[in-house]
Amino acid sequence: MSEEFELICMQMITNSGSAKSSYIEAIQKAKEGDFEGAERLMEEGDQFFSEAHGVHGNLLAKEASGEKTEFSLILMHAEDQMASTEMAKVLAREIMELYQKK
Amino acid sequence: MKKILLVCNAGMSTSMLVAKMKKAAEAKGADVSIEAKSLSEAKAEISEADIVLLGPQIRYELNNVKKIAGSVPVEAIDMRDYGMMNGEKVLAHAMEVMGA
Repeated sequence: MSEEFELICMQMITNSGSAKSSYIEAIQKAKEGDFEGAERLMEEGDQFFSEAHGVHGNLLAKEASGEKTEFSLILMHAEDQMASTEMAKVLAREIMELYQKK
Repeated sequence: MKKILLVCNAGMSTSMLVAKMKKAAEAKGADVSIEAKSLSEAKAEISEADIVLLGPQIRYELNNVKKIAGSVPVEAIDMRDYGMMNGEKVLAHAMEVMGA
């Protein structure tokens, strides 16, 4: 595995991981009743997550144009992190709304 | 010997950073042990560590881990250093915090 490819995967892991943390921190803020703070964290999470999607999108575009992507466990792990972040995002939004109704 | 404990969800990406940190420690001749653990594994070992570093994917646990850690310093790893796997910089920062 090339060092460059390893770094691409780490960029995906780091950004989607940071996004996941922001989304969960948004739930924690909502729990304290700070909905503005929660909203800010959701936005922060979206920024990190779109970085991760950008890097992933480049890999997808390369593959679509015939340049085969190297397969590795670390890439699978990166995609797994992205999927779980997606779930955290959807649930954070729902849970925030629940706290707001309370 | 100082003990650095890195924590993330599964200990997978963090173990890649650990490999880089170990290389940096070797080059410096620093007397440290560096390990990556998942949070559930790490809980039992936190009190024996000299510093606990959290990966960005588990930054939201910072306050919980601080409670468990007591006087052991707990920090989130800078996400730029994590993403670039800058073992040298993460190690240098940890050594500074530990006063080693």
